[in-house]
Amino acid sequence: MTTVSKSSPDGQLGSEMTGETVPYGEALIEVEGLKKYFSQSGGLLPGISLDTNQFPPISVGEERVQAVDDVSFDIRRGETLGLVGESGCGKSTLGRTILRLLEPTAGTISFKGEDLATLSGENLRTKRSEIQMIFQDPQASLDPRLTVGQIIEEPMRAHGMLDDEGREARAKDLLEKAGLDPHHYNRYPHAFSGGQRQRINLARALSVNPDFIVCDEPVSALDVSIQAQVLNTMERLQDEFGLTYLFIAHDLSVIRHISDRVAVMYLGNIVELAEKEELFENPQHPYTKALLDSIPVPDPRETGARGVLEGEVPSPVDPPSGCRFRTRCPRLIAPEAYEWDGEEWERTRSFMRAVKRRTFEPMPAAEIRAEFFGNTLPQGEPGRIVEEAIEFIATDHEAGTQTSGQAKAVTDEAGTERDGPTVDWEQATDRLLEVFAEQSICARERPAYEVESEHGSGTHFAACHLHR
Amino acid sequence: MSSRSDPLLRVENLKTQFFTDAGTVRAVDGISFEVYEGEIVGLVGESGAGKSVASMSLLRLVDSPGQIVDGEITYKGETIFGLEEGPDGDLHEREDMLTNEEVRTRIRGNEIAVIFQDPMESLNPVFTVGSQLREFIELNRDLSSDEARREAVDMLREVGIPDPAERYEEYPHQFSGGMRQRVLIAMALACEPNLIIADEPTTALDVTVEGQIIDLVDDLQAKYGTSFIWVTHDMGVVAEICDRVNVMYLGEIVEQAPVDELFYDTKHPYTEALLNSMPRPDRTVAELDPIRGVMPEAINPPAGCRFHPRCPDAREACKRIHPENREVARADGQPHRAACIKHDVFGDEYEESVPLEERAQETAASATDGGESEGSGVESRSQSGSESGNTSKAGSQHGGDDRE
Repeated sequence: MTTVSKSSPDGQLGSEMTGETVPYGEALIEVEGLKKYFSQSGGLLPGISLDTNQFPPISVGEERVQAVDDVSFDIRRGETLGLVGESGCGKSTLGRTILRLLEPTAGTISFKGEDLATLSGENLRTKRSEIQMIFQDPQASLDPRLTVGQIIEEPMRAHGMLDDEGREARAKDLLEKAGLDPHHYNRYPHAFSGGQRQRINLARALSVNPDFIVCDEPVSALDVSIQAQVLNTMERLQDEFGLTYLFIAHDLSVIRHISDRVAVMYLGNIVELAEKEELFENPQHPYTKALLDSIPVPDPRETGARGVLEGEVPSPVDPPSGCRFRTRCPRLIAPEAYEWDGEEWERTRSFMRAVKRRTFEPMPAAEIRAEFFGNTLPQGEPGRIVEEAIEFIATDHEAGTQTSGQAKAVTDEAGTERDGPTVDWEQATDRLLEVFAEQSICARERPAYEVESEHGSGTHFAACHLHR
Repeated sequence: MSSRSDPLLRVENLKTQFFTDAGTVRAVDGISFEVYEGEIVGLVGESGAGKSVASMSLLRLVDSPGQIVDGEITYKGETIFGLEEGPDGDLHEREDMLTNEEVRTRIRGNEIAVIFQDPMESLNPVFTVGSQLREFIELNRDLSSDEARREAVDMLREVGIPDPAERYEEYPHQFSGGMRQRVLIAMALACEPNLIIADEPTTALDVTVEGQIIDLVDDLQAKYGTSFIWVTHDMGVVAEICDRVNVMYLGEIVEQAPVDELFYDTKHPYTEALLNSMPRPDRTVAELDPIRGVMPEAINPPAGCRFHPRCPDAREACKRIHPENREVARADGQPHRAACIKHDVFGDEYEESVPLEERAQETAASATDGGESEGSGVESRSQSGSESGNTSKAGSQHGGDDRE
């Protein structure tokens, strides 16, 4: 069955361009302070926003989505770096920016010592033969009007590699290496199943002999059994061609299987980066922990309580200051300005979050105190502020507090059932956040720490102030 | 759990077929299962296994060219679907079968509700979320508009949507995916049905959101005692919430067991292979063991056991015998059924026949990665291996065996 592969000298396939500079295990790509912002322009009057609560009500200024914000890491030659995160966290944008499919807003991407961020024109085009990409949707990423052979030869033609015959031989060879029948050379993509299409994608990416491939959710669209086949092929090809992968996925099981090191992204930041075993067995960032805890494990006897993450990801237009995870973090650090006893801070924190998300119905002050604080408010200043906040939202707050006069004037809408004093969620939220959340170190400084690894010898980066 | 009264829903020998130009697609081919009160029953399989068609058949929601051609669906003693042989020997719909009108007004929504995978497609983008929920409640529960509105707000609160009175006025696009799915759950629960069919309800969601939804369903299920049929391809989700599981392969149920038995005492090679091919979140698996080949199309399923061309345990007899689902073990008074002749209850044909081992080894050698390398589906092939000729006409399922 290997008759076909003899048509092109084997050594040529793997290594003519690779290894010229970077030895295995050394950084092939170094990303430093990379940012990618998208401006939300469009519409009739782009950049102009209207806010009747301020003066002047019209402001000019572009809202920018901070899709990737100040990310630094390196990828070593021959390794697979897994990049995991939920949808919208910026992982695909990061992958595309590294390939310069998107223009970076700031930062450097050093590939074999050359900064891709500053390359342009012909230089960049040539460089593209060394960096390739595999997309998620195997259907959409193959031109239905081209045969498999043409698809695989296209990149070689663009980079002026080989002559017609050589390209055909190489395409057939690659088909075989990707686990397809070389006789499929003249078929069209529609005749293939999802897994096979992804193999065609692999063959195409390999055609120009790249060193580095960004794989953006390459197996997410595939069924479990097919997924395993494609993953195995990818691993085999990595060994054979000495490839370096950046493997982007949302599926932690896949990441755990294929990666050597794993980076976890949240809202445009990398929050944790460590060797695979270390990251999964000894996660140090609360977000990573929450993520790992929430995966359904295919084992009915696994009854460990699932720490479900509250709330939703904030908008990347106006991300939280400091640590971006702090608005949902179950371990938000207490503001140092006050003394906290025992459970006081935990209770205050969960009360603050409940108020912010309005997860409970307005009720009398005494009930709020009982439900959230077991009837004992925190000591001193924090207690006073909590009391103030309770006043705003309690259904039985007394007339005379600063808002009730105004609040009384606003009649409840017909639909909401509760009559009586109106509750002012916003004031309560603002008061609590301003005093507690904004004062925490988590809000004031952006964390970046290196912690000791328990598994393996690699470095373990965790962006969490708990490790300060 | 062990003392069983009558099941809430009983499905017997259900067959749903699609009549296409290319031939008859036997999407669901004689499946039987029950759902008892208060349990979550899983329907698991890869895409194309027929699990969605099966679940939609239960509500007679199969559109042309699809048709339920055989079987019986009984819900609380009422016949949702049933056929009998007429004097001319043809099958006719039974007298006691509910009319379309009755199914629409009494069963759908009120008794059996559905939650679909894509919450955006299930909600109308031009109406507010609240008004859609209200309308649904108004129509199904005979409430006045105001009462229905109040009920709708209550339901939104029940499924954990913060500030429901305000969110009531918002449009679907203003909701995140997880929130939309919560709205659909609210809608499904609004008429307090006894059974909810959840068709991949968490597949489109992020893991953390998926976790939230699963927890929500757990809570609501405990509170209302609703039964669920949970359609999914994710074994993790199955392990997490299902009480009993039906594993589907190519239109058939190949294994049926309580969830613990399914994972720890697996009786069908397909289930076994499926579990082995999964990367795991809780431990590092060095080597994945994929199922070779791809699932053939239901238009022309392999003769004998439908899994035999991909099965590592297949023997000569598997090509001939088409096993039905039989009880192979009992656990806590519940049957564990499997459709595989390697079990004793199927007699000793398996023992006496020759393993198809050689082929397996050949495959392993030629495609180390389990290469799903042959032409897909029904398309013709450039080469025809000796083995595939007698196993399946569609011949799409082997690994690289006939590349030689």
